[in-house]
Amino acid sequence: MEAHAVTSHNRGSDLALRWTTLFYLGVMVVLPMVTLCVQAASPGIEPFWRALSDPYAWHALKLTFLTAFVMVVINAVTGTATAWVLVRYDFPGRSLVNALIDLPFAVPTVVTGLMLVVLYGPSSAIGTVLGRFGWGVIYQQPGIVLALLFVSYPFVIRSVQPVLMELDRAEEEAAATLGAGAWTTFRRVTLPVLWPSILTGSGLSFSRALGEFGSVVMVAGNHPLLTKTAPLHIYGEIESGNRHAALVVSSVLLASSLLILLGLNALQRWGGVNHGD
Amino acid sequence: MNRLSLTVCALLVALTVSGCGNSSRPDSDTLKIGAYSVVREVFHDGLIPAFAARWKSNTRREVQFEESYNASGAQARSIASGFDADLAILSHEGDMEILVKDGKVKRDWNSGPHRGILTNSLVVIGHRQGNPKQIKNWSDLGRPGVGVLYPDPKTSGGARWNINAIYGAALLAVPDGGKGQTDLASVRDLMSRIQANVINMDQSGRQSMANFAERQTGDAVVTYENELLLRSKEGEPIPYVIPPFTLLIESPAAIVETSVERHGNRALAEAFLEFLLSVEGQQILADYGFRPVNPEAKPSSGERPSPGKLFTMADLGGWAKVEEALYGSQGLWTTIAAERSQAHGR
Repeated sequence: MEAHAVTSHNRGSDLALRWTTLFYLGVMVVLPMVTLCVQAASPGIEPFWRALSDPYAWHALKLTFLTAFVMVVINAVTGTATAWVLVRYDFPGRSLVNALIDLPFAVPTVVTGLMLVVLYGPSSAIGTVLGRFGWGVIYQQPGIVLALLFVSYPFVIRSVQPVLMELDRAEEEAAATLGAGAWTTFRRVTLPVLWPSILTGSGLSFSRALGEFGSVVMVAGNHPLLTKTAPLHIYGEIESGNRHAALVVSSVLLASSLLILLGLNALQRWGGVNHGD
Repeated sequence: MNRLSLTVCALLVALTVSGCGNSSRPDSDTLKIGAYSVVREVFHDGLIPAFAARWKSNTRREVQFEESYNASGAQARSIASGFDADLAILSHEGDMEILVKDGKVKRDWNSGPHRGILTNSLVVIGHRQGNPKQIKNWSDLGRPGVGVLYPDPKTSGGARWNINAIYGAALLAVPDGGKGQTDLASVRDLMSRIQANVINMDQSGRQSMANFAERQTGDAVVTYENELLLRSKEGEPIPYVIPPFTLLIESPAAIVETSVERHGNRALAEAFLEFLLSVEGQQILADYGFRPVNPEAKPSSGERPSPGKLFTMADLGGWAKVEEALYGSQGLWTTIAAERSQAHGR
């Protein structure tokens, strides 16, 4: 602050900009969410609880969290590995691969679901072979995880990659010189630096997965108490005129997402302090 | 800096203003229809051009249609919450009652000669070429190894017609017509065996058809007869059977009073509704696979297979009663779904 000579003119326009962006955030993001929560809570705590403890709503929420969790575990491992390969190895076509990473964001999620059905569905070649062993992917719970893996593919990679690139390799070299193997070096030296970014990517993909509708609706099978996730349940309740039940489940998803994001924020601050950044 | 914030403000204002720019002004030659998605083809390609030509020759005026097609329940709710369609064309009476309750549609909408019903169809079973699984009746859908498709009754009015047909056929087959409380076991058994064979419950009847036809999912699809006949009109026929005892689908149309008051186009709306029920209008509906409510209208492309025995929603006690009995929190279908997941867990 002291370095800049702040004129009164500048301060005025700074304030205007600040308030405009805050106003924009308020209108575009906060207002709709607050409306949702107010509407969900307005009939009172008892109806809220009744809507939430409805076995269909409860199962849908459980299934959503479970599938998102399985997806996050897989994504954390494969995402970190992918980022590692992209940063540490030079191979022909690396920049092309790097560009491909974000493509899942560009595919409409319904198309993602459709592709998965065509590829793994019960009448596809792969589906027929799996069916012979009595396994099913599409219209079963594994299909949901598969869809979530696709739509949230870039998150962990994109969050780990920059940290890996900026990592000072002197520490790793020192560890190697002192006789640590590659795995020990990774586990004891590299991973402690990486884990906040792995958690950030995982948290973002988890949040993303909680609300995923378009791809899941194509692959889930939509059976209540078996394969109906919370977003599908919400859509069904809205379509059958049961708005309050839909709002209650939505507000739970919203609150979970908010908690995750706040947690990540705290974690990053804590991780930052720990590493003296 | 100042200019930047000004630009941002101006942009916001512009966005807000443009959002409410398209207010509707009264125009007697525009008609808005709010319909359920299944009638899109017959309205857009058949009924509307035919009516527009007739209106022009009668009045020398152009008529513009604004068409909206959506799932029946969603359409009814959007009209109830302010969508100013002049004419509501819905899948079933239950959805029309939403509009009656809201004061949008007259209480006596179903007092005319056709009881407010625009068109009929049947609940039928589409199967694969050559019928390899020998599907002829509802009970065949409950056999082990038969993959069945129907959409989710939570989101699709079509699915409710389908499940109501299975329910009704089983219920009315019970000797005393299902009036006793104890003999619902056979009804429940059939419904739960079929539900166990359902591979995927899509969001709408159309998606279910696409899944059956294009992705070759399942052995049988429960659907409206007119949906299957529309596909064969488009050159991709799917063979089907009419179960010996099935449900007559009755889809209503009514004028939305509040909208025609506001638009001042009552005469036009009434003329269109009258045209829809005329022999010419019903003929077009028949050509697109519906069963006409006007017995004088016959499909131009040959005879339809004649159905065996039919029953109506009235035979089952009406929409409200069946909705509660099947889809209420303790409804038959609702509890069957719960049972199924327990069986799956074992």
